[in-house]
Amino acid sequence: MAQKNSSPWVDYVIFGLTVFLVFCLIFESFIDLPSLVAWLGRWHPLILHFPIVLLLMAAAIGLFNRIVPKLLLTIATLSALVTAITGFFLGTETVPKGDLILWHQWMGAGVAFLAVLWYWLSTNHLQQTYLVKGIQVILILLVGFTGHFGGMITHGEDFLAMPRSKKLEKIPENPLIYEHIVHRVLDNSCIGCHNPNKSKGELLMTSIGELIKGGESGPALVVGDPVNSELIRRLHLPMEDEEHMPPDGKKPLSDNEIQILERWIALGASDTLKLSDLDNSEPLAGMVKKMMEEGTSNSWAKLPKVADSTLQNLASDYVTIQRISSNSQALSISVFLPPDYDPKNITDLKRISNNIIELDLSGIPIGEKEMEFVAMCKNLEWLEVDRTPLTDTEFDKLKGLAQLRVLKAYETGITDKSVAVLKDFKGLKSLYLWETQISEVGFTELKEALPNLILDHGIDPELKREFIEKDTIVDSIQ
Amino acid sequence: MEEDKSKSENPLKVNRRHFFSQLSVGIGSLALGSLLIPDLFKGGKGPLASQPLGIPHFAPKAKRVIYLFQSGAPSQLESFDYKPTLTKRMGEDLPESIRNGQRLTGMTSGQDKFPLMPSAAKFAQHGKSGAWVSEFFPHIAKIADEICIVRSMHTEAINHDPAITFFQTGSQQSGRPSMGSWMSYGLGSENQNLPSFVVLTSRGKGNSQGLYSKLWSSGFLDSKHQGVLLRSGKDPVLYLNDPDGLSRSDKRHLLDHVSSLNKIHHVETGDDEIESRIAQYEMAYRMQMSVPDVMDIKKEPESIIKLYGEDSQVPGTYAANCLQARRLAESGVRFIQLYHQGWDQHGNLPNEMAGQAKDVDQASAALILDLKQRGMLEDTLVIWGGEFGRTNYCQGNFDPKNYGRDHHPRAFSIWMAGGGIKPGITYGETDEFGYNIVKNPVHINDFHATIMNNLGLDHEQLIYKYQGRRFRLTDVAGNVVNDILT
Ligand code: HEC
Repeated sequence: MAQKNSSPWVDYVIFGLTVFLVFCLIFESFIDLPSLVAWLGRWHPLILHFPIVLLLMAAAIGLFNRIVPKLLLTIATLSALVTAITGFFLGTETVPKGDLILWHQWMGAGVAFLAVLWYWLSTNHLQQTYLVKGIQVILILLVGFTGHFGGMITHGEDFLAMPRSKKLEKIPENPLIYEHIVHRVLDNSCIGCHNPNKSKGELLMTSIGELIKGGESGPALVVGDPVNSELIRRLHLPMEDEEHMPPDGKKPLSDNEIQILERWIALGASDTLKLSDLDNSEPLAGMVKKMMEEGTSNSWAKLPKVADSTLQNLASDYVTIQRISSNSQALSISVFLPPDYDPKNITDLKRISNNIIELDLSGIPIGEKEMEFVAMCKNLEWLEVDRTPLTDTEFDKLKGLAQLRVLKAYETGITDKSVAVLKDFKGLKSLYLWETQISEVGFTELKEALPNLILDHGIDPELKREFIEKDTIVDSIQ
Repeated sequence: MEEDKSKSENPLKVNRRHFFSQLSVGIGSLALGSLLIPDLFKGGKGPLASQPLGIPHFAPKAKRVIYLFQSGAPSQLESFDYKPTLTKRMGEDLPESIRNGQRLTGMTSGQDKFPLMPSAAKFAQHGKSGAWVSEFFPHIAKIADEICIVRSMHTEAINHDPAITFFQTGSQQSGRPSMGSWMSYGLGSENQNLPSFVVLTSRGKGNSQGLYSKLWSSGFLDSKHQGVLLRSGKDPVLYLNDPDGLSRSDKRHLLDHVSSLNKIHHVETGDDEIESRIAQYEMAYRMQMSVPDVMDIKKEPESIIKLYGEDSQVPGTYAANCLQARRLAESGVRFIQLYHQGWDQHGNLPNEMAGQAKDVDQASAALILDLKQRGMLEDTLVIWGGEFGRTNYCQGNFDPKNYGRDHHPRAFSIWMAGGGIKPGITYGETDEFGYNIVKNPVHINDFHATIMNNLGLDHEQLIYKYQGRRFRLTDVAGNVVNDILT
């Protein structure tokens, strides 16, 4: 059994810290910390790793019926107390404390008190009682939960949730302007720092009421008056301004998003307003529609991971594979014609078909096999199959590509039969069909089906004639 | 970024000391990074600071650039900056309050009068956007709705060499990498069989200024990022073709052996340039196949040739180069730099400029139309412009039919199209004399920052450390001109 061999001052320190912690917790609302103490709080994220490791170790040793070295238990207990106290200091920076922080705080304090209790019992030769075993089990659980809650505070609540379920929900056809549009913008860019657990500037942005209530510098939102709304003012500040929101390094809102917030405030910041309530001439309607269309690049976030080594293996002198931007799983692929072309050059890319966002097959003699592969690239947004021997038969395979935005199919053999396929690409923005067999009737049909489409079927004949006929430069001057 | 380079491009140089220094930084930063508050040590550095090379920092709007450089500095007053006041006050001396101490070149510093000279070319508004374009450019006028005219460019240089060097490299003194080299360095190549930076030159009849290969040099960047000059005629790249009697497989063997010798040498010396050399031999080998194919204009149909103008059939003309530029862009060259010489009209401006304009007008406009019908304006940025502007006063004899204009750095016009630039707008404004900018000035650094932005690069993050100093294309300045972006 452990000996009572440590010097008494260790006991005094532990006792003192325990009393201090109890005092802090009880008189929380009366405490106003000097900044040095607040600074101590900043060490919480560093120190907390010690009690986690040490307590788990000590508890595990105990549960395996081994003697827990006194020194280990002492240090574990001390570190648990210090962690709880610094954690308390850190927590006082956030007022009011959100649910997450409160849970974390009380569980953390629980861990410290349990550790002290265990220390006390073991100092009094009560190592192997069932009480101690119980304490050890509870400690293990409590350390786990406290750590998890702490993790959620720093990394976000869904940090350990199955990746991506909620954020990417599609905006409904007829969205509520606040809930589905405004709140979504705030949720993506602001609420990470302005929520009950992390209310920077003492501002919560989780409801309209909280926005009106505002933070340190008064209301963030003045109904009907975007110009005097603190929130809008900060969005418009130059990027390098300290007060610009979101702060340095975070992705700023797009112009469209800012305009949506402004217009929504100007129209009265209603939470019941729907898209269908807006007149077509109301600018907000256009902005909201634009945002609904734009949802695309966000959807790249859910693409499966692909390793650089995979990309290196699949790339060759004639197949260039690039990430669209760094840290992105979205790929852009260009294929150039090798001297000895084989469809395998392209169909080998199957492994990464879901990651392909842009695919350039211009000028490659592609046929059915390659088009079957293209059809597998469900996330394709940009497809170039111009200057290829494609006909309606192969083109038909593209049917399922719902994400297509840009399609280049000029100088191919497709005819009016393919118009049916094209009409189904509801998200298509630009389509290049110059030098195909599609007739004027086909083009008209397409334009009716997809009114927002920019359809290019060659240079305007009138303009072309002016270019081709004769140089018109003024001779008088020469 | 520097670290990344040394890892990806030169594995052999990772010696023991290097390894340990990286290891300690690695462990140290790991510990700090995870233990302390994430933002505490980040300081001003954005998350991009440790970006890998060869990948855009963010999703780009343009994948490539065609830069139609008008070398010699075309006059903005006879092209895109319409100034009726000059007609009203023709012959009056430029008020000192307007000139405001602007330094002069040696060519007009002896003049005791600076009589205002109106444009010999008439102006009209064109397109839905109502852009002002002079009669020298009838074809460009027809595509006014496709382009963005910037009338408020300015620079510090007043002579050709520093000015063009500034535009191409971001510095008036030579030695820095060219824009195209920076793009090649930052984005990598799109087609492994062609250089990512290609240069085509042509020359008009007007008074011209020299072009030197330093303008497309890679400076301190790896020499594989250097611009490759493609010549007109039978041999676009000198010495690219094998001598008679050498078969392609013999050539392959030869290259394999040379490269194994080079690798031994590299192990011994650790010199980066040896690796570059190996890569360049391989590139040249592939270019033996790819270049003749891209350069073969004969494949173009009659209607396209006519669109660019009859000149486009004559190798070495600006029109032929424009058509070539489109073909190169299609084949995945990142940066295609054209130069057309002959825009330096110190005298005889009306005649010479009309001739220069005739060289470039139709082909430039045709390039835009051709790119557009191929959907390539979606991801190709086209730029048209010279190195500075020209004075609103006359140089030499005052004759409205035959006058000259001197160099003017304070305001000039360029235009851009495609690749994320708003079409159909005119940006920036000069005063009624066309001398000073009164609205939305765009400095060369801003211009560079904007182009890089559209290519998905943060100009503040694409950095190369050389001789103890960090270099950027925009050096320590530059703001993206957001107003002209789509
Ligand atoms: C990285 C964390 C972070 C994000 C993300 C963030 N903010 Fe802030 N916000 C802060 C901090 C820190 C403060 C307090 C310091 C200050 O006033 O500048 C603050 C303060 C504010 C204030 C002033 C509160 C007051 O009354 O003083 C407003 C308004 C605001 N933010 C709006 C926003 C908006 C709108 C967004 C989303 C576009 C956003 N914030 C995103 C950290 C953030």
